Amino acid sequence: MYRDLAYIALFAALIAALGIIPKITLASGVPITAQSLGIMLCGTVLGARRGASAVMLFLFLVALGLPLLAGGRGGLGLFASPSAGYLIGFPVGAFIAGTVMERWKARSVVAAAFVAALVGGVFVVAAFGTAGMAITLDKSIPEALLLALPFIPGDMLKATAAAAITAFLARNRPESVLSRG
Amino acid sequence: MISLTSPIETPYHGLPAGQKLLVLCAFTFAIFLTSRLDAHLAAVAFVSGVHLGAGIRFTLLAARRLLPVWPFLAVVILWHIATDDLVGGTVISIRLVATIGLANLVTMTTRLDDLADVFKTLLVPFERIGIRLDGLEMAIALVLRFTPLLLQRGTMLVEAWKSRSRRHPSWRIVFPLTLLAIDDAERVSEALQARCRAEREGRSWHVS
Amino acid sequence: METILEGVSYVRDRKKVLDGVSLSLTDRRIGVVGRNGSGKSTLARLICGLIKPTSGKIRVNGIDVWRDRKNAVETVGIVFQNPDHQIIFPTVSEEIAFGISQLGHSKRDARERALQTLSRFGHETWADRAIHTLSQGQRHLVCLMSVMAMRPAVIVLDEPFTGPDLPTIMQLHRHLHSLDVSQILITHDISALAGFDRVVWLDRGRIRRDGEARAVLEEFRTEMERLGRSDDFADFAD
Repeated sequence: MYRDLAYIALFAALIAALGIIPKITLASGVPITAQSLGIMLCGTVLGARRGASAVMLFLFLVALGLPLLAGGRGGLGLFASPSAGYLIGFPVGAFIAGTVMERWKARSVVAAAFVAALVGGVFVVAAFGTAGMAITLDKSIPEALLLALPFIPGDMLKATAAAAITAFLARNRPESVLSRG
Repeated sequence: MISLTSPIETPYHGLPAGQKLLVLCAFTFAIFLTSRLDAHLAAVAFVSGVHLGAGIRFTLLAARRLLPVWPFLAVVILWHIATDDLVGGTVISIRLVATIGLANLVTMTTRLDDLADVFKTLLVPFERIGIRLDGLEMAIALVLRFTPLLLQRGTMLVEAWKSRSRRHPSWRIVFPLTLLAIDDAERVSEALQARCRAEREGRSWHVS
Repeated sequence: METILEGVSYVRDRKKVLDGVSLSLTDRRIGVVGRNGSGKSTLARLICGLIKPTSGKIRVNGIDVWRDRKNAVETVGIVFQNPDHQIIFPTVSEEIAFGISQLGHSKRDARERALQTLSRFGHETWADRAIHTLSQGQRHLVCLMSVMAMRPAVIVLDEPFTGPDLPTIMQLHRHLHSLDVSQILITHDISALAGFDRVVWLDRGRIRRDGEARAVLEEFRTEMERLGRSDDFADFAD
């Protein structure tokens, strides 16, 4: 369906755009890149299959050498770097987030989206990221976790943002929330 | 969109993408098999030699591309100083520099189209788990077309914020940006429907 | 209101978008005309302090709008061309209250003043309406109200009449006419500047004419028509 293709492509573009616009600040005053927020939205808004496709499309272009990752990074080098785990975790996280959104018929969209974003976008991604760092930096999992932990609080705040945005769309543009379509 | 392919011509630009990827995979695999310092030194010497073979300017460009790795190297070195295992830390650092450096080399010396062709061939087995490959060309074109547009809109929203506030834009900017992306998605899907001839209803995205 | 530019240049991507522009703007209603790509939008952003001049100085009422963001935000407001690219919040009152709250008022105060602004424009009923339920013209008005709510000394309008339909244009015109604030109107639509005091004509980053509105507009119109009769499409992007 053309609609699927269009949404997948546009959300991939959204992830890219979120990585390039200047850092935004959370309510706590912490500056962050919004890119992982884009990953979460792919899952919560588009659902499992489409969301993962959007993220993989994004990664495909990064692998091809387009500087779409936050900070203008791109290319195959990223997949050999300690961040590689995170990159692989992104589509998996979007898929899991999407699955939660699709399966859990909670009445409250914001609750479902928050849990989806938290489980998929934060924990699953962090798990893959930790594994990636453990392998490339030759450290044990607990040691790699120490490196991954500082980012978790910020990511949890992003999950609340993803939930708010998804709920907003469900209220005002319900036809766009394909995960609940 | 500007890719990370290097404008400085090298002898490696002419090599087939598939071959370069194969060498990269073999190299990365091999280097992870050992933890010997001498093997790693040889590896980084190899990678450096390959770079220098393309000239000093190119090597400097490649070195700049390695800057984002600095924080990780710093963490590793400090960690291994603290645990009194400087040799181990050196091995890890060398491995990082060598593998990322070689991978970057492939990116810098390979045209986007050539890499895309190789990747598409590699993705074929994934069709079995439900990943659709038809429409990939169209999807890539759409992302390349719309990323700069969304960026512009994002910048405009940031300007609209900054013209009324001296604080950094908050995450709320993502709300209108997402709406704009969705508007574009709806318009694009209409345009596709109007211009594409589906071979079987809802299955193909061959553009007429 | 006094906006002063001294030898202002702006370079982007190695291209001189503005070249040595010097202006002393004290009139109440000033138009800036020029072809697309002449540097008008850049000028608008420089006056608001959104971008930094590559060289030269800009002062609005004595304020360095780039460095002193706090006072700049209170003094200069800007309305961009497309409402969908500048409205950040989902409801009308939130959007209008945003600027006010950024000036230091409490949330409740800001909402109060937002409602007052809506009354001034005769649209109290819009307070809690969702932006996406409004027409394009109504959204344009929300943008204008959001800026006016901050009571700036001068507002810059970047091509406000490019896009909306005729009734909307006429309504916006009327509102702008009745506003007690200095206006710098960037446009390539000559009829929008009827009754203006002064017009600056920008051509490829330089001031081509700067003077009494009617005279400059007449020259501008003649030149645009002359170009229209030739076959050269403009070869510079906006």
